[in-house]
Amino acid sequence: MSMLKLSFLNFKSSFKNYLSLIIALSFTILIFFNFFNMIDSGVLSALSQDNLEKTKIIIQVIIIVLIIFMIFFIWYSTNVFLTRRKKEIGIYAFMGLTHLQIGRLYMIEITLIGFVSLLIGLLSGGIFGQLFQMFFIHLSDIHIDMHFSFSMSAVIKTSVIYLTIYMIFVAKGFVNIVRSNILDLLSYHKQNELIKQNNTILMIKTIIGIVVLGYGYYIAIAKGGMEVLNNVLKAVICVIVGIYFIFGGLIPFIFQTLKTRKMFLYKKERTLWINNIIFRIKKNYRTYAITCILMLCSVTALATGFAMKQRYDNMMSSRHVYNYQVMSQKKGLKDYYQKIIEKKSQVKYGSSIAVLQLDSSLMSSRYSHTAYAVLSYSQVKALAKQTGLEFSYKEPKSNEYVKIERLYMLTILTDRSNEKITINKKTYHMLDFTTEAYLGYMQEKISLYMISDSEYQKLLPLGKEVYFYNYKIKDMKSFETSKQDLRQANDSIGLVSLNPNEDNEMEWIKSIYALCVFMFLVFVVASGSIIFMKLYNDAFEDKSRYLVLNKLGINHEILKKSIGKELFIIYAFPLLIMSISSYFSVKALANMMQTELLMINLTSVIVVIVLFIIFYVLSNIIYRKIVEVK
Amino acid sequence: MSNEKILEIKHLTKSYGNRGFQTQVLKGIDLDIYKNDFIAIMGPSGSGKSTLLNILSTIDKPSQGTILLNGKDITKTRNKELSKIRRDKIGFIFQDYNLLDTMTLQDNIALPLSLNGASNKVCIEKTLQLASIFGLKGHLKKYPYQLSGGQKQRGATCRALISDPQIIFADEPTGALDSKSSRDLLECLLLVNKREQATILMVTHDALSASYAKDVYFLSDGLIKCRLSCGDDRKEFYDRIIEMQASMGSDFS
Repeated sequence: MSMLKLSFLNFKSSFKNYLSLIIALSFTILIFFNFFNMIDSGVLSALSQDNLEKTKIIIQVIIIVLIIFMIFFIWYSTNVFLTRRKKEIGIYAFMGLTHLQIGRLYMIEITLIGFVSLLIGLLSGGIFGQLFQMFFIHLSDIHIDMHFSFSMSAVIKTSVIYLTIYMIFVAKGFVNIVRSNILDLLSYHKQNELIKQNNTILMIKTIIGIVVLGYGYYIAIAKGGMEVLNNVLKAVICVIVGIYFIFGGLIPFIFQTLKTRKMFLYKKERTLWINNIIFRIKKNYRTYAITCILMLCSVTALATGFAMKQRYDNMMSSRHVYNYQVMSQKKGLKDYYQKIIEKKSQVKYGSSIAVLQLDSSLMSSRYSHTAYAVLSYSQVKALAKQTGLEFSYKEPKSNEYVKIERLYMLTILTDRSNEKITINKKTYHMLDFTTEAYLGYMQEKISLYMISDSEYQKLLPLGKEVYFYNYKIKDMKSFETSKQDLRQANDSIGLVSLNPNEDNEMEWIKSIYALCVFMFLVFVVASGSIIFMKLYNDAFEDKSRYLVLNKLGINHEILKKSIGKELFIIYAFPLLIMSISSYFSVKALANMMQTELLMINLTSVIVVIVLFIIFYVLSNIIYRKIVEVK
Repeated sequence: MSNEKILEIKHLTKSYGNRGFQTQVLKGIDLDIYKNDFIAIMGPSGSGKSTLLNILSTIDKPSQGTILLNGKDITKTRNKELSKIRRDKIGFIFQDYNLLDTMTLQDNIALPLSLNGASNKVCIEKTLQLASIFGLKGHLKKYPYQLSGGQKQRGATCRALISDPQIIFADEPTGALDSKSSRDLLECLLLVNKREQATILMVTHDALSASYAKDVYFLSDGLIKCRLSCGDDRKEFYDRIIEMQASMGSDFS
């Protein structure tokens, strides 16, 4: 029989065994292809030039992340495959095949698998592509006519990247086989000895895990100034190390302690599943830790996307509090300008305020800005009433101020308790700060401080007072005409006019949001399928154990229960630790974005739970099928 | 010998193959096993020993004949009930131990009892009690890979005994053991037979193992050829078994 025929027969007869590998590979190809296909489909051309550039940078970053993800996934799945096949390969060696021949056999088989997976991945990619694009367009709010697209260049790009990575690992497996000796191959399956771990070592690991993880949690949500950036980095490292030790220490420690309590252990199927879990965790704890971290990343990524979207919406609404802002050196022109606008458009609300511009040489603060101005308390209060904005501040004392600032996308300053400024050698302490858009768009341009009326009067001689007249119109139909009218009006030293329908400076944030949702789903499904694959492969090894139990006449109902509990724990622990950790990571994010993200945290955790339940049920069915417990 | 009949085998036959081409492995076996019996079945390879044991232990079904376990015909019982019978009434000792490598010896022994829903106190007590009979008390916390073959097989025997089965089937229990370990195990079996009134049916090709039994049946070509009973002297019984083996002349390995 020729080598090719033998490997083809092998492939056909054990197709079922390869199924997990094929599904895993097809899945990565599907994602990759969809991604490239979307970029080629012209969805993004709806974005403006500037936004397109920014989105492209993000897409490149995501492609790199996806490639890394693909490398890991292929590395992992081919490795699992090689381990599973090693014993069979050892038997061939006994039959007198040379290592080179066996290596070639392996190469042909796994190459076949690779191509079948590629085909399945691309086909399903073509089918799901449309769905995926609709999803993207819907989330990112881009307005475009949909049409079916299947990009050849996406096919080629995906195939080239995938096959390159795949072939590297095939070659690695080949070298591995050629270099191994027969004894190793044959006894590969017997290497999982030494189940019980030294309790002292476990205890030390547990303590390290709890302390490091706890410190990571603490430092992540600790508020601070510039050091926050540093803290975030420390927290990330601590959480990763902590999770690793939790899975390597705490969880085995819990179960080993339970196991020594025979009064607890000898209760129906507990004897079986607790022992099995100790065995499984000892073998796979690294995998569980990695999936846990992967999920944590994906939940945090989703929260980031969501927070950015939320922040973007808020920024847009603050910026567009007014359509026109007229600056003048003259007081009391509010009605004059309003009449000009009302020639064509209806005014929804209007307001006016005096702004005392101060020269930056008079100011000294921790952060330098380009323009400074102070506002008087009573005027801001009056403006808030005219505009219908919230205002709930008491008048600042003579050495206090309320900072009125723009919304930032992200701020690392989470502790602002000790801020102060010096104006003309007098120091003022910050009473509070607000992002309420009292001055609309101008708030993005000037650094504003609200002080008491008497302080304002004192500072009056030092600066230049300018009057702002702000208007919001009811509909945008005559926006341009009114703008022209205002431009020709008297006594104006500047005009800001904003049409929210034409403002797409930050549209790219919406596409980030869509991409974050996409990455979230990819990584959650990936983590679920890693656990699934692991269990699928373990099932073949466990088969002999269930055979023994069957010979002993153990009731299948009891075995079913035991399997159910065991698999539940396997899925539940990474999920539990991820959920707890995500609370802290999302909280840290919320601090930096000055927003509340608990809801999105809960939502994403629930989505993960739902997906995991599906994986759990599938695992349960397939595991029972493999170990033949009916 | 007590008079309580545990197992009653009548005209048991088993054939394999299609209608046109049939091989009869068992050609009509009749055997009664009473409480507290210790029976060894010997025979050359191909004589049907394993088939008989598989049928008796409900793993296989006979072509004809009946097997009454405590008066109940197990050849006509449904699969679900059979697994219950296996669980409650039969204990197994296998040649390759079949201990689970994922748990300690103590948990392995306690497993059938605890899975059947016995209380934790009973599980612990019985495990310790059996372990001390079999000289395993110091090894309870070890995993199977840390134990010698003899210790493993004694552990497996404890596991077979823990649910107080009506009868124990042992399939070449000393097959993988050296002579010292074999003797230790057989002494233990003898002990439980005498002290705990256990009923044992053992299949073996080893004359020494067989000499520990009370009765030895010789199986050849699917039929029971003869029966030897142990007298007062085991050495003499052993010699008679060897003699019988020689006279039957077939390959006994």
